[in-house]
Formats: sequence, C-alpha cells, structure tokens
Amino acid sequence: MSNTPLLEIEDLSARVKDKEIIKGFNLTINEGEVHAIMGPNGAGKSTLSYVLCGKSGYEVTSGHVRFKGKDLLSMSVEERAREGLFLIMQYPVEIPGVAVTTFLKHAVNAQRKYHNQPELDTMDFMKLLREEGRKLGISADMLKRPINVGFSGGEKKRLETLQLTILKPQFAILDEADSGLDIDALKVVSEGINAERNEHNAMLVITHYQRLLNDIVPDFVHVYADGHIVKSGGKELAAEIEKNGYAEFTKEK
Amino acid sequence: MTEKKQTPEIADESGDKYKYGFVTDIATESAPKGLNEEIIRLISGKKQEPAWLLDFRLRAFNYWQNMKEPTWAKLNYDKIDYQDLYYYAAPKQKVSPKSLDEIDPKLLATYEKLGIPLKEQEILSGVVAVDAVFDSVSVATTYRAKLAEKGIIFCSISEAVREHPDLVQKYLGTVVPYTDNFFASLNSAVFTDGSFVYIPKGVKCPMELSTYFRINAQNTGQFERTLIVADDESYVSYLEGCTAPQRDENQLHAAIVEIVVLDNAEVKYSTVQNWYPGDKDGKGGVYNFVTKRAACRGKNAKISWTQVETGSAVTWKYPSCVLQGDNSVGEFYSVALTNNYQQADTGTKMIHIGKNTTSKIISKGISAGHSNQTYRGLVRVSPNADNARNYSQCDSLLIGQNCGSHTVPYVENRNKSAVLEHEATTSKISDEQLFYCRQRGIDEETAVSLIVNGFCKEVMQHLPLEFAIEAAKLINISLEGSVG
Amino acid sequence: MGGLLQEVALAGDDIPWLEGQREKGRELFLAQGLPTAKTEAWKYTRPRDLMTEDFILTGTDEDESHEEEHCNYHQGECRCGHHHESQKALSFPSYEIRFENGIMQAIDFELPKGVTIKPLIEAIYEEDAVKSYLGKEIDMAHYPFAALNTAYMEEGVYIAVERDVSLTKPIAIINHTHACRQNLMAHLRNLIILERGAQATIIENFNYSGNEKSRYFNNIVNEIYIGRGACLRHYKLQDEAYKAVHIALSRVKVRENGFYESFCLQKGANLARNESKISLKEEQAEAFVNAAYMINGWATVDTTTDIEHLSAHSKSHQLVKGVVGGNAKGVFQGKIHIAPNAVKTEGSQLHKALLLSDEAEIDCKPELEIYADDVKCSHGAASGELDKEQLFYMRSRGIGEEEAKQILIDAYLTEVINTISNEDVKNWFSDSANINTGEEKC
Repeated sequence: MSNTPLLEIEDLSARVKDKEIIKGFNLTINEGEVHAIMGPNGAGKSTLSYVLCGKSGYEVTSGHVRFKGKDLLSMSVEERAREGLFLIMQYPVEIPGVAVTTFLKHAVNAQRKYHNQPELDTMDFMKLLREEGRKLGISADMLKRPINVGFSGGEKKRLETLQLTILKPQFAILDEADSGLDIDALKVVSEGINAERNEHNAMLVITHYQRLLNDIVPDFVHVYADGHIVKSGGKELAAEIEKNGYAEFTKEK
Repeated sequence: MTEKKQTPEIADESGDKYKYGFVTDIATESAPKGLNEEIIRLISGKKQEPAWLLDFRLRAFNYWQNMKEPTWAKLNYDKIDYQDLYYYAAPKQKVSPKSLDEIDPKLLATYEKLGIPLKEQEILSGVVAVDAVFDSVSVATTYRAKLAEKGIIFCSISEAVREHPDLVQKYLGTVVPYTDNFFASLNSAVFTDGSFVYIPKGVKCPMELSTYFRINAQNTGQFERTLIVADDESYVSYLEGCTAPQRDENQLHAAIVEIVVLDNAEVKYSTVQNWYPGDKDGKGGVYNFVTKRAACRGKNAKISWTQVETGSAVTWKYPSCVLQGDNSVGEFYSVALTNNYQQADTGTKMIHIGKNTTSKIISKGISAGHSNQTYRGLVRVSPNADNARNYSQCDSLLIGQNCGSHTVPYVENRNKSAVLEHEATTSKISDEQLFYCRQRGIDEETAVSLIVNGFCKEVMQHLPLEFAIEAAKLINISLEGSVG
Repeated sequence: MGGLLQEVALAGDDIPWLEGQREKGRELFLAQGLPTAKTEAWKYTRPRDLMTEDFILTGTDEDESHEEEHCNYHQGECRCGHHHESQKALSFPSYEIRFENGIMQAIDFELPKGVTIKPLIEAIYEEDAVKSYLGKEIDMAHYPFAALNTAYMEEGVYIAVERDVSLTKPIAIINHTHACRQNLMAHLRNLIILERGAQATIIENFNYSGNEKSRYFNNIVNEIYIGRGACLRHYKLQDEAYKAVHIALSRVKVRENGFYESFCLQKGANLARNESKISLKEEQAEAFVNAAYMINGWATVDTTTDIEHLSAHSKSHQLVKGVVGGNAKGVFQGKIHIAPNAVKTEGSQLHKALLLSDEAEIDCKPELEIYADDVKCSHGAASGELDKEQLFYMRSRGIGEEEAKQILIDAYLTEVINTISNEDVKNWFSDSANINTGEEKC
C-alpha cells in the first residue's frame, strides 16, 4: 500500500431521473488498496458504479471525482475505460453475433492505441486470450461464441473476469461480482481477480454479502446507506454486518 | 448510331464516402434516346441476333407497352421517363476482343480501380473468373479456357446467343417470362448484355464465377440479363458485384437473373450490391429494379441466394425460388442496409410445388438516417407440396429516429402437411450494449459497427470469404454518419 | 329487390349532417365498389357472393310484407315451419340488447345509473354527443363496407357510459337472424362511448335460427371510443348460418391509460371478416386483440387487425389461432404501425393455424410498419397440421384417433380462449367452441 491516491471522490451527489440516489459521497482509494462497499439492496450501490463509469441517465449534481489526478467526470465512457477504469457488471449485456474474441480484440487495441502502443497481432492476442481463458476455465469454443449470448450467470462472470485479466485496468469496480456464482465458480473468479492485485492498482468491491470478501479480502470496508458512507472500518466490519445485518445502519439515519 | 464522348465528371471527393463514384473517360457508342421498335431492332442488329431473339424482344416490347409500372412497393421516387433514356451504350472498341490485350487500357484501369483485375496473371489466388459488364456490354471474361476444359461455358450472353444458340433458346425466358412484370418485360425487350453460365452434367465448377456490373455512361439504363444453367449433379458458386459513378441524376438499372437448377445440382448466387446510393440529401443514385428467380426443376436441386444490399437510391428486388423438383431446397440470406434517403423494398418468394421441398429465409434489415426499408416476402405452398417446410426470420434494426422499417410477409399454405414458421423482430441498438462496449474502451462508432456486423453475421457467413470481408467493410462505410 | 346500394327512405332524413354522411357513404362506396383481387386489403377474401341484385334491406316494406304473410317471428312461430326461438340466453346475467333481423328490440331491463343505451336513431335525435363522434374516425375512402354501412346508417345501438361508472354485468348485444328465407341484408351501426374512467364489458353474439342454408348479409360497424383510464372488454361470437356473409369493422380509439381487450371467435358464415382498426392515441394506451376461428365446409373466414401506435409507451398484444378443415380458408392479416416518436412502445403479434384437411387453406399476412427506433415489436406466424407424435402417443394409450384429434384441437384453442379475463365469458366461449357448427336446428 502506498499513499498515492488513485481515485478521489469528493462530496459526490447524483440522481437518476428526478430521484437523488447518491448524496454527498466521499471516498479516497490509494494505489494498492482494496475497498469494499457493503449496503442493503436498493441502496444505490450499482448507481455509484455507473456514475463512476459515466453511464448516460446518471446525472452528477455536485462533487468531484479525480482518477490518477485527472477529472474523471469530464471524460467519456470509453476514455475512462482506456484510462484504466473497469467495471465488472452485475448483469453483462448480450451482443448477438459479436464473438468474444472479436469484441476483446477491439477493446484491447482501442486501449493500446490510446496509450500509443502498437496493436496486438491476432496470433499473439489469441495466444494470450486462450492462456488466460484456460486459467478461468473458459474453453476456446466459448471464446468463439457471441459475447454473453446464452451464457449462464457463472459463465458471464468468468468472462468479465477474463476481460479484467486481459485489459489489466488500474482500477476495477466489482459490482456484485459473486451473484449467480456457485462455490466453485466463485473460487475461480476470485482467484483470477486476486492474481491481478498489485501495489499499483486498486479495487472497489461492491457487495451485499460478506461471502465474496472471504475470498477477495479488503483492506477497508464501508457501509453504504442512504446515498453515502455511514461507517468505515477494517475487514472485521464485514463479519459484523454478516452477523447483525444492516438494520442498525438504516436506522441510524 | 451516334458517337459521343463522355464528359468526365469529377466526383466531389471531399467527405464523400462512395469510393466508386468516378467516371471513366472513354468514347462511347450509343443508340439515340428513347424506346421504340426501331431501337430494339437496332440493338438486336448490333448484336447480330437470330430472328427468334428479335421476335422475343418485340413481343416483350408490345406486352410492356400495355403494362403499368407497379405501385405496390413502399417506394417513393420520381416518375421515370422511359423515352428520355439511352437504351444502348457501349465503350467504343472492337466488337469482340480476342484477348485482353485488345481491350482499351482505360477499361482495364477502371476495373483495376474497382478492385477487379481482369488480367488473369494478376489475380493472386486465381480462384475467381470474371465477366466484366460495362454499361450495356460485356467487355471481358477471364479464365474461359480453363473453364472450357471442364465443359463449362462462361461468357457474355450476347456471345452465348451466337455460339450456343440452342442452350440459350432452350432456357431464356423460361424462369422469368417476358410477361412476368413491368421491369422484366422492359428488360426482355432491351437487354443488351449480361453473363451466361452453363455447368455440364456432373461438373463441380472449380472456381467462383463472377460478374461485375458497372454503369458508366450518363442517362443510360442498364438492362443486363444473366442466365445460369446447372445441369444434373453440377455445382457452381456465382458472385455479382455492382457499382456506378456518382451522378446527380438517377440512373435506371433493370436486370434479370434466371437460374435453372436440374437434378441434384446446386447453385449459390451471392450479390454485393453497391450501386451509387445518392448523396446524403437523397440526390442522385441508382434505381435498382431487379427480377431474380431460380427454378429448382430437378429433384434434390438447391439454390441459395445471398445478398448484401447497401447501394442504390431505390431497390426493388425479390430473388425467388421456385421449388418444383421433389426434395429441392431454396435459401435466401439477405442483409439490406439503408442510410440517408435510400429506400429498399426487398425480400424473396419461396414457391413450394414439389414434395418435401424446404426453404429458409433469413433477412436482416438495418435502417438509418431518413431511409425506409421494407422486407416483403411470400411463402406459398401448393396443394401437392407435401411435407413442405419453411422457416423465415426477419429482423430489423433501426438506427435513429427518422428512419422506417417495415415487414410484410405473405404466407399462403394449401397443404396440411406443410410446416411454416415465420418470426420477425424489430429493435434498436440498446443503450446497455453501447455502454458495455464503451466501458471496455471501444468508441461509439466502432461499437455500432461491431453490433451491426454481429446482427448480420448469420447472413454474412454464407458469403464466400473474400466477399464477406468486402461486404463487412461496405457495411461499415455505409453506416458512417449514422451515429451521434 | 336490388343490389347493395338501394334507394330507400331512412329515418332521420330531416337531419342534414346525417344525410350528408349517408350521401358521402354512397359516393365513396360507389367510387370503390366491391373489393377485387387487386384490392390489397382484401387480397385473400373476395366478397364475390355479394355481386348479386337480390338483396332485401331489413326493415323495408318488402321485408315487412314478408314478415306479415310468412313469418311472424316475434311470436316465435313461422309459416316456413321453423320455430324461431330467440337464442338461448347467455349462461350468466347480462344487460341484453336484442336485434332481430337487424332491428333493435325494445329494452326490457332497467338501465344502471350513468349508462345510456338506446337505438342509434333515437340517440341521433336526443344526444348531442352523437354528432361529434359518429363517423369521425372512419376512413370510408379505404373501407368500402364502412362506406356502405354509412349509406344506410340508421339501425344500431348507442351505448354511453359516464365518467367513472363501472358496469357490474356485461352488456350483451344479441344479433339474431331468422334465416328462413333468402337475401336479407342488415347494416348495423353501433356507437359505444366510455368516458374517462368508465368500465364496461360488451358481448356481441351473432347467431341464427331457421334454414341453415339461408343466405343473408350482415354488415356491422362498431365505433368505440375509450376515454382516459377507461376500460372496455369486447367479446364476440360469430356463428352465422353457413351461407351467410358477415362483415364487421370495429373502429376503436383509445386515449391515455385506456384499455381495450377484445376476443372474437368465428365459427360460422360462408364468408366472414372481422376487422379491428385500433388507434392507441395517447400514452400508456393498451390493447389486447385476440381471436380464434374454427371453420369447415367452404367457408372463408378472415381476421384482420390494424393497430396504430400513435403515442409513446403504448402497448398491444395479439394472439390469433385458427383451426381449418374441409375446403375452408382461414385468413389472418395483422398490422402493427408505430408512428414516429411513439417510442417505448411494445407490439407483439402471433398467428397460428392448424390445417385439418387436404383442401384447407391458410393465408396470412402479418405486417410491421415501424417509424420509431426505440420500440419492441415482434410478430410470428406458424401453420401446420396436428402433431403426429402427439396423436400417436395418445392412440398408444388407447384414445381413439378422432377423440385424440379433438383433444389436441381443444388444447390448441384453449390457449387463446384463456386470454379472456372475464371468467363467465371465458366459460361461455369454451362451451360455444365445443358445439359443432350447423347443429342448432329450430
């Protein structure tokens, strides 16, 4: 862990249509840190991840977000991605007819082009993809299939993880990364994610249950309710929530 | 005959995406404007045609004069003045060049620029034989000698009339009679050239055969006619490509393709249609009225149409399959993309007559800009077509708020053992899909083209590989400016 | 006697606007004539049988003289030897309006509060609202039979339900034809207005008694206005004599949050067309337009729908199923139109048909016409015969072939009958569907 801030969120408020969902949210994440945000269902945890990624329909009403010192909120969705912001989505969308390989090749090369790196040639790319895929139990056949189309919940999450390991983002948001996973698949996915941890990158794990945090152990745990963080602590806070639930935090407001 | 020199028009290169919009500066020989018996006799005479063919033309012309232009299609275009067109235009050269060396270098250069090299040694893979049709006439056909070794006839239809009159007379007009429809009658009266293919019994054609149509001359209608006969147990894959210069006025193209498939034979016919679509305000562009039909006359005969339609201001086209032979199979795979002010009314007909005949329709329509597109299809099962099967799927994708997408399938079943299924959906590129791509760093325009190509994939995979790559590029080019 | 368009004196000829509409109807019918093979909207259904000169308009002198000397059907006795019992009642309570040979009979029930039901011609004289609704949404230039209907506009019922009034019992419109002689024609015009928040259920029942071989022609136009948040459930059973011609158009306009549910079962007539043209005019308007047909003999039975989505967030759903035997022909034409800016709309349509005999025919034209990109639309069509595997399975369990077929057909139709949300009506249709056509002798 260093003290170099990677993501700084200051007094962030955002709404969807007319409904204020995020209210005065503050959080700083330094390089090498893993933070977990836990909160009851419907608290707007996914909204936070969409706001950070710049999805349309999520309107920031106040506050600042700096990513690697740059103003994140002024960047387009793809710029944020190319800068190294990656979101493992809770419900990855299906894109019929677009093979996983085609999709990822476009993504990888878009990022490389942005960083003035040469594009990967197909042979090297395929080799990389197959290797990483194998670690996550993704067959070559699955790579040829249209992205997410007809994939099971577990397959989708493994594919999201594969993209993480290929794109190597500096900052990853895991939005309910364990939903739809059985114990074995959870292990594969969390091992894949843990292998990417190093002192320069960071992660924000958004989850309802403690379960995932046994495998991806956070440095900090924050309880999120009513649009902002209501309590912060170490990993022991997660265990406490597992035991007592969120009731005391929702009552606090 | 009048002679006139084409005034070269410089296409506005700035910001224009139609890269085939140039004009070849070549001396052209053309008949006077207008359509009458004299002109037809002149065309026929020019081509030294036998009396039966002139008679066929004149009967077609007489029939056409009492016909009305069809109005049932969802198309809106200015009335065509059929007397204000040239019906014959040919690059001035020797009537039939004996070798490529005798062809005007300007023509060779034109085809090279279009990516269609006519010099055989220059074709790297050497797998495609080309018949190049320039305005009204065929200017070159490659690989003829090699094909002749197998008994395959591949030449211009004019030449076929001279060299193989029995074959032509036996099949011409038997799939698309001259009474078929307004544009087919017109074509039958005035067709000037086109390709002829005959694959003898038991022969699998060793290479793809291809015709490349090019409209060059101004105010000239192009009326080519293609006849393909696949004899018993034979196979051929045929490719058709088309381009035209960029002109402010509309150009008329009214073609006929007739295919006869006999016992156990198979024909694959692929088209990438990229006629000039008009500019972004809908000015100019080709009017494309085409009658394409294949008759599966023999048992187990198979015809497969694959088309990628990105060009033309107006498209009116329904490649059809008449499934006469028992167990015969018809397929239609189509991608139509319209942008700006383009209009397309296209689809297919599957006529089940024989027993155990099957057909499949996969149609993908993409509308963008202010364009309008209609899928119009007919599946008809005759009383004797026991166990006929059809599966149709028509999907439309709309890009933007100002375009239209329509689906008009006709399903007529007169046999209880037939099983027919039709499905159609209409959708747009979802915000979720775009967000997903962009979150992975892919810009919006690339994301749209990825998603559109994914949408078309089921059809594209039926094209020969090189053609498929070309078609994918074409789709990306045609989509330009439709996003944002 | 005369052709379809006859010079007759109609009530209300002292009302200029009414006469004007009738005149326009005559003009536009003459301009179009009967649909031919080239009339796209009637591509599969040709009313050839109407090209004769021998029609007798109901309620005219000629009709009445027949009644007097031949067939006093009000008393249930007829010299033709047929006993004309007014059709058996519905199996559940309803407000019953009866038409006998196209003439509306006196109403014998007490009207609930907030509901007006009266003969159309009376309403034309008495209700101010009529003028502003009648004929307003009918495009006579494209609907020849609606034009013809308008030329004769006189008979029919006016139903108006006031704001926020909910009817507890269905209104049943029984159209009974005493088919003991030939060539009677009736042109019925019903005007149904549900004001904001009103709720009603209307059942139309077309049946006959007497000579089953009798030829007659019913031409019906329903004009239906559904106000904001109002809800109409509209059911219809078409069980005409097997040489009858039945042509009906329901023109429905649904306003914001309005709801229209319809189901039509057609099992009779030689030539029948039940057509619905529905405009979802405002946001959140919704329509369920379901139908079934089970036909035999030489019948041509047509179900045509045209649903216009004119505003955002409107929804339509259609399920149509048919069973065709004998030499019969089933026709389905369905169109979903989405206007520009009618975003977030949903339109779905499914037509399925079973062919039971070698001579049966199905013609189907499901159509989408879409001018907005953010929509969800789909249609599907399927036709085929009964599943041989399923038949074999049942027979292997000892069920006779005919019985097995019937079980499968029942199951096939049950899916669509089950879409009816009113339980009583659903059961009534189930019963009706199981009665073989042509068996109701008098």
